[in-house]
Amino acid sequence: MSADQIISWLAATLEWGGPLILVSIGEVFAERSGVIDVGIEGIMLCGALVGVAISFLTGNVLLASIGGMFLGFVLGTAFAYLTVTRKTNQVVTGLMFNLAALGGTNLVFALLSATRSHRVTTFPDLFPASFGSIPIIGPVLFKQPVITWIALILPFIAGWVLYHTDWGLNVRAVGDNPKAAATAGLPVIKLKYQAVILSGIFAALGGVALTLGEVGYFASGGLTAGRGFIVLAAVVVGGWDPLKIALACLVFGAADAAQLRMQTGGSIIPYQFLQMLPYLLTLAALAGLVGRTRPPKTWGAPYDPADV
Amino acid sequence: MMKTKKHPEFFALPGLGQLALSGARPLIGIFLGLLAGAGLIELSGVNPLAAYAAMLNGAIGSPLAISNVLVSASPLLLTGVGVAIGIKAGLWNIGAEGYMYMGALGAGAVGIVPLPLPPIVHIILALLAGAVVAGLWGLVPAYLRAFKGVNEVVTTIMMNYVAQYFTSWMVHEPQPMAEPGAFFPMSRKLVSSAQLPILMPGSSLHPGFIIGIAACILFYLAIRFTPFGFRTRMLGANPEASRYAGVNVKRQILFVLLIGALMGGVAGAVEVMGLKLRVYQDFVSGAGFEGVAVALLAAGNPLGVIASALFFGVLKAGGAAMSVSTGVGGPMTIVIEALCVIFVIAVGYGERKRLERADKPEKEDEEVIQHVG
Amino acid sequence: MAQNNDEVAMSMEGITKRFPGVLANDRISLDCRKGEVLGLLGENGAGKTTLMNILYGLYQPDSGEIFINGESVKIESPAKAIQLGIGMVHQHFKLVDTLTALENVILGIPSEHAPVLDLAPARKRLLNLCDEYGFHVDPSTEVWRMPVGKQQWLEILKALYRNARLLVLDEPTAVLTPDEGEQLFRAIRKLTQEGRSVIFISHKLGEVLEITDRITVLRDGHVVGTVPTKEATQLELARMMVGRPVTMERKPRPAVTKKEPVLVMENVNANDDRGLPALRNFNLTVYSGEIVGVAGVDGNGQRELAECITGLRKRTGGSIRIQDRIVDRIMDDPSFVGFIPEDRQKTGLLMDLNVGENLVIKDFWRPMYARGGVLHYNVIRDHARKMIAAYDIRTPSEDVLVRYLSGGNQQKVVVARELNAGPVLVIASQATRGLDLGAVEGVHETLLNERNRGAAVLFISTELQEVMALSDRIIVLFRGEVMGEVDGDGADVSTIGQMMLGKASEVVA
Repeated sequence: MSADQIISWLAATLEWGGPLILVSIGEVFAERSGVIDVGIEGIMLCGALVGVAISFLTGNVLLASIGGMFLGFVLGTAFAYLTVTRKTNQVVTGLMFNLAALGGTNLVFALLSATRSHRVTTFPDLFPASFGSIPIIGPVLFKQPVITWIALILPFIAGWVLYHTDWGLNVRAVGDNPKAAATAGLPVIKLKYQAVILSGIFAALGGVALTLGEVGYFASGGLTAGRGFIVLAAVVVGGWDPLKIALACLVFGAADAAQLRMQTGGSIIPYQFLQMLPYLLTLAALAGLVGRTRPPKTWGAPYDPADV
Repeated sequence: MMKTKKHPEFFALPGLGQLALSGARPLIGIFLGLLAGAGLIELSGVNPLAAYAAMLNGAIGSPLAISNVLVSASPLLLTGVGVAIGIKAGLWNIGAEGYMYMGALGAGAVGIVPLPLPPIVHIILALLAGAVVAGLWGLVPAYLRAFKGVNEVVTTIMMNYVAQYFTSWMVHEPQPMAEPGAFFPMSRKLVSSAQLPILMPGSSLHPGFIIGIAACILFYLAIRFTPFGFRTRMLGANPEASRYAGVNVKRQILFVLLIGALMGGVAGAVEVMGLKLRVYQDFVSGAGFEGVAVALLAAGNPLGVIASALFFGVLKAGGAAMSVSTGVGGPMTIVIEALCVIFVIAVGYGERKRLERADKPEKEDEEVIQHVG
Repeated sequence: MAQNNDEVAMSMEGITKRFPGVLANDRISLDCRKGEVLGLLGENGAGKTTLMNILYGLYQPDSGEIFINGESVKIESPAKAIQLGIGMVHQHFKLVDTLTALENVILGIPSEHAPVLDLAPARKRLLNLCDEYGFHVDPSTEVWRMPVGKQQWLEILKALYRNARLLVLDEPTAVLTPDEGEQLFRAIRKLTQEGRSVIFISHKLGEVLEITDRITVLRDGHVVGTVPTKEATQLELARMMVGRPVTMERKPRPAVTKKEPVLVMENVNANDDRGLPALRNFNLTVYSGEIVGVAGVDGNGQRELAECITGLRKRTGGSIRIQDRIVDRIMDDPSFVGFIPEDRQKTGLLMDLNVGENLVIKDFWRPMYARGGVLHYNVIRDHARKMIAAYDIRTPSEDVLVRYLSGGNQQKVVVARELNAGPVLVIASQATRGLDLGAVEGVHETLLNERNRGAAVLFISTELQEVMALSDRIIVLFRGEVMGEVDGDGADVSTIGQMMLGKASEVVA
């Protein structure tokens, strides 16, 4: 591979890893509180569509982001109601969210046929164009759109929130021992809701980043292509720690970028095996071969206040 | 003096009460789902009644329509029953997507080779190959769950994607299975002796649905009337007590998950042998998850799977017709499917929990409640 | 009730609390003075836990009043209790394993500079407390890494951190070594010197006599009496705790002449779920045709005893033989061992299966039920109908899910299944828990019949009355060991009571 190819690959790594990181920010809080939001795949898809739609209508990416995040808020609340209050099975609920989102976005996209083949306004780059000519880090870092930079900074903030704020501490307590948390006077249900809603907001924002980051298009039939599940995998591989998860997201993003390149150019390793990488890594992690495999104790289990 | 807790006499009638309890729940959920779907259809500017009418017509309005329903239902019957068995055992086998891919590969590998065999033999061989390959595939998450206690949900979902990409590789040139010079990654075409016969000229109707319904009936009988089925139900009811009663819990988990894999493999094989005639890249696209939905609607009951798979078949086949005549698209059916399941589980769980809490004494005071009447 | 309000830190007057079918607290009045250690003594079911839960705001009393420092208060929640200076150290820890000690201590207390977690001043304060009272924990260690003894310290520190003036300690020495126990007592003395009060709940007589100033004894939901510790004798306390008008008559029984050893346990050691020793060098032989009752306060190894004998729990040392068969796997042969478990809903029954099915969960694969690989439900149903008749199981039919039966009838299903094949060894663990008097009678009769038939019966129960009514021999379990053995006939309740409280008897079997 030439230097140019490597640079382009590194840039693409950040480009593809960014949305993953965004989604993971919210998901890590949800899982830490004991809820697996399997629906982030669907919410991400919805966010992607809404981002394109609003950007098309207004040309304003900030508005598109806010719109997406609002939708994520709504969907996250719905998911929280189902899994926390009605105590439905989290996996099933998430899968059905994904199915509904798949159909729903295709439907709505058909209505927005005007947006097809019209590249909408995307996120601007953070740094002025001149920065982009600095060798290596220029194209890799400085030419990245704003949203990618946000994605790179957020894990640090998320980590800080998780470990150094009251709220983060409470969320961790709730996911590990809700009875103890309740005895300590914490509002368990409220905290779970908050964490799950966060997962919805950030999943949608990740979707917005996916379409408005670089591409500027929405395509029907499952644009997110399982990226939500990749984030679920990253959370496991990253041991439920925001920074490690971000790292895993970048690794998966790198694999994603690489396999895309391999699809066109010839290469020795079939690109499909790179596509498999996140999932194989997760399997290895769960089987105890890699990393911390202790999920929050109540991972995936519904919480019954009467059990205190 | 008889003491039953807070339930009207009706529910005590053998079997009937329980059937009503378990049958009513999904129906309410489905009704709500269809209602919500009607709302969405209304929003997109189409009269819901007209849309549903078109759907019904497209599903049962003609023999061709019915044949389409059966074709749509056939993979769902098979994946659904595999997941349903898991549900009976308290296990969540979400790997149907992956099993379908692997089953398709297995059947495809045998089916594209022009073997000098009578069709019936070639077909059986292909089906077996599909089942075996999927079964081997399914051993991984099954083993991890049975012997290492690793949550089967995440492992099976992960395996789905690995299977999908593996299939993609297998049908890409220059792999031996791939169709040379194809515009879209696909396998070679199945030779005619490996293809399932068309039962109704002019339609796509293949015997897949018969295999599916037969499997559902067979598994229903097995669950009800065999020791294996009894053990499965014991496991789903109470793994701890089952262990004490002498059930080999690990082995049982392994078998149940394996069955799900085998059924999923057959589903994939049937799809390829009956409908698609080739293994296309990404051909499953959600059918496995729909199988999970089917099993959930049926509350894990194999006979119920027949009903819910047919219901989904109606939605899909009718949905295609609905899209043609009213413009409300195929994706709408997927949304309605998902909404139905969401409402079913939202409604269903509420009931269950209320029943349970009526029985459980407050845990802290268990020691105090020594002499309760 | 103390007259001088200044001296009284807390008093409860006329506290009554009812749960469905049971009067947990019956007009309980007690008080705790400033600077005193009040011992709260009582068996399980006496009402101690309910009372303390009321004090901690987890329950509301049906009637009665609580006074803190002379003022009447309503304690609606643990937060309110903490506000009032009440600190509760539960028997089952309420700690979050993955958080550090420091994080556990401050959990639920909004930090000064919210939203930021201000750990530095909290750490300092915690370490000061550690030094003051001699409970040393490392604030940065995660709880799951800490030994159980330190976790106990942590629970106490949590309460002290919140300036508890009244500290309730529920079985605090259950997980402590004797040295740690001494350390705890030193800390308690310091606390009382500071004018704080301690309620010390325990059934270990030796400790109660050592550390408390007064002792209140509860029994069957009411206060039996309060005595100054100096004036209390072990005998008196034991009598207060377990003595009651005898409502259970001793059951008449034929003498059994030929007795063979059936269950032989030698030097058995086993751990509980936390990894702490639950059975220590436990020795026991049960002969055919006798009922051996195992008395003792709950939590002294009863559950682990039953689980080891049935093979559900692996022992760490010693040997268990049933008729010369070594117990090394689950004893699921109903013609050999019949087990009526403590928690029938968890171990004994499959709630979502019907009565007929539950009766055959150990046998369904046998040829008589499964001919040619097919279950013959007509045979299963016949069997069920016979059992329903024989054991008087009240159910509309054999097809009803066991979930819908009353507790007593559920127990009958378990009994029918476990005992019908005539096992050589019967283990009944808390078999009458949650049953009404009629059902209890039924169980007793059944066990007696088994004994008369020649089975060896091990009857584990925390209800001393029924142990005394039913057993040929009684052993007392305390901290996983046999404290002593008495003859069932003419057993003296006070002697047994003392053994239950940890006093080894002069005569050990």
